[in-house]
Amino acid sequence: MTASLTGSMASWVPLMPLLLVAIGGFALLVVDALSDEHAELATLSSVVLFCAGALAAVLATGKGLVPPPSGVAPYLAVGQMSQFWNATICCGAGLSALLAGGYLHEHALERGEFYALIVFSAFGAMVLAAATDLLSIFIGLETMSLGVYSMVAYRRGSPRAAEGGLKYFLLGSFAAAVLLFGSALIYGATGHTDLAGIGQSVRDGHANLRLLILGMLMLLSGLTFKVSAVPFHMWTPDAYEGAVTPATTFMSVVVKTAAFAVLLRVILTCFSDELSASLRTGWPGMLAPMAAATMILGNFAAARQANVKRMLAYSSIAHAGYILVGVVTLYSGDEQVRQTAVSGVMFYLLAYTVSNVLAFGSLIALGSYAKEAVSYEDLAGAGRRHPLAALPFVLGVLSLMGFPPTAGFLGKWYVFSAAIASGNDLLWLVIVGVLSSVVGAYYYLRVIVYLFMKSPEPGAAIAVPMRSGYVVLALVLSGYFVLKMGVTPAPYIDLALSAASKLG
Amino acid sequence: MQIELGHYLSLSAIVFGIGAVGFLVRRNVLVQLMSIELMLNSVNLMLVAFNRYMPDNHAGQLFAFFVIAIAAAEAAVGLAIVISMFRLRKTVHSDRADTLRH
Amino acid sequence: MLSTYLPALLMLVVATVFAVGIFTLTSVLGTKHMTPEKAIPYESGSESDGANQIRLSVKFYLTAILFVVFDIEAVFLYPWASIFRQLGWFGLVEMFAFIGSLAITLLYAWKKGALEWEK
Repeated sequence: MTASLTGSMASWVPLMPLLLVAIGGFALLVVDALSDEHAELATLSSVVLFCAGALAAVLATGKGLVPPPSGVAPYLAVGQMSQFWNATICCGAGLSALLAGGYLHEHALERGEFYALIVFSAFGAMVLAAATDLLSIFIGLETMSLGVYSMVAYRRGSPRAAEGGLKYFLLGSFAAAVLLFGSALIYGATGHTDLAGIGQSVRDGHANLRLLILGMLMLLSGLTFKVSAVPFHMWTPDAYEGAVTPATTFMSVVVKTAAFAVLLRVILTCFSDELSASLRTGWPGMLAPMAAATMILGNFAAARQANVKRMLAYSSIAHAGYILVGVVTLYSGDEQVRQTAVSGVMFYLLAYTVSNVLAFGSLIALGSYAKEAVSYEDLAGAGRRHPLAALPFVLGVLSLMGFPPTAGFLGKWYVFSAAIASGNDLLWLVIVGVLSSVVGAYYYLRVIVYLFMKSPEPGAAIAVPMRSGYVVLALVLSGYFVLKMGVTPAPYIDLALSAASKLG
Repeated sequence: MQIELGHYLSLSAIVFGIGAVGFLVRRNVLVQLMSIELMLNSVNLMLVAFNRYMPDNHAGQLFAFFVIAIAAAEAAVGLAIVISMFRLRKTVHSDRADTLRH
Repeated sequence: MLSTYLPALLMLVVATVFAVGIFTLTSVLGTKHMTPEKAIPYESGSESDGANQIRLSVKFYLTAILFVVFDIEAVFLYPWASIFRQLGWFGLVEMFAFIGSLAITLLYAWKKGALEWEK
């Protein structure tokens, strides 16, 4: 028993990214509790996350990847795909921690718990992305979410933060309860909580169909809430606006990545049989209209915002719509198409992570104490006064817009071309996607127009860029990856393809 | 009358429904929190009931343990956020938390 | 069938009739002398004092929630304790890791002053 549970030492290697982040989180708690003055928690947390991310990136290539201990295997997949998600999550979380290091210090909000929350939430996200059991899905989801709720409400003196946090918490817990009820129904219908067992039972036709369909709908609703797809998006703008900007960054990249990761895994393992993956009767019938509505509403609502943070919130809703197109493509019975779609979604999320960090990071960089840049007016003329601080912003919005040769362009390209390759059934969705991204171009370009072509109103408060090595480092790193993934995407997409073929 | 799986499921669904309706209808945050607890506990009932009729393993009961623990953590975080809002706005009504709309 | 529950139902009916009957009888037959002493709320003999809807300090909340969060972890100790011999050394190490992580969070709460009543 002992040997089978623990396995050999080597079998723990694929779990190292997870363990490193967990141990790092506890180390942060201890350092924060025992040191009187402000220890460099930002450095510590980002180093831990980047180390875990780098390790996961190496493991994602398949080198040195061995099966995990048998006690872990039923609950967590630690193959190439999970390692790819780990790398993406750690990258997003590490960059958010760097941004926090600059932002919290500048705005006199520095308290140690923020970094511990980032690290523990990232741990939850990694568990969620690797989960192969309804139980580990729930634990990962809640570990991630509870940290994020606290991060949103972090600014104690701000009613907006408390309100954003409260709204997110209430709706998030409601969604989690719905997801849980769905999980319990699926367990009842199939007798299994492990995704593989559920999938087997669904394919064999042993499952109680009524319970199963209801459970599947509730489970998928809970997950699409986390990616903020329409109609479960109401919390997004409020939570994004109320939160401190590094927390917004974290939410927009890490939470979305983990939720899409588990959505892909649940669909591919449990619901890929012909009945439940049918475009008319199965989950694609629910997700396809959601994807269309998400793209349309996200883009049109973003175009109407005067606050840049709210605009980026709606833009993140719109991006969830584009990624959902890739998820819907999994209805296809063609293995080739499915792998292209999965790798497209993986690439998209990595590209979205670095692009969004770039946009939010620039927004942070353009403001300073008591002069935070939040509206378009705050940005007016900032590009001419401080070109170096505005340049990453331009790169970020271009990539979010999908302008070649940035990473964002290729992300959209891969996802949409997979949808087209699946046949004519999704053509309408791709057309909706392309047309709505034209609307997207309007509000992204508006940022550039304000940065370089407008002048501040006479007498208006002028935002002054902050100086912080942390923020500069985060911007340089994410900017580098936005360009590198756009110019030489081959290594990344190959990695995603090879991971997608294994589904581990 | 024999108490069967269907009865447990009906009870669980009713409790979940009461929780869901309570959450959506009531505007007092504390009542909404209680409604969420109700929903989570209805799931526990269902998990344990399913496990009773599918006794090959203890997956359902195991699940219920974790739900209990996580519900407590969730309540702690939720109440902390409610307190932080109450200190600033002097209200526990989610309708009056509307600064962000303006 | 339903007949299994008949005794319980009968018991319920008898108990209800008895309780309601006794109360009705006393209120009909008994004499009533209202004194100011009798009108005050009964609090086990001690005199009641102040309004019943006082606001408690938030410190109670913090202590209570810390108790709940740590207490609920006992839920994982019982299943472990019932089979810990089968789990062998690995189970023991794992439980130490679990308790260790709780200890670190307790240390954190302590050092952050969450356990201090007077601050």
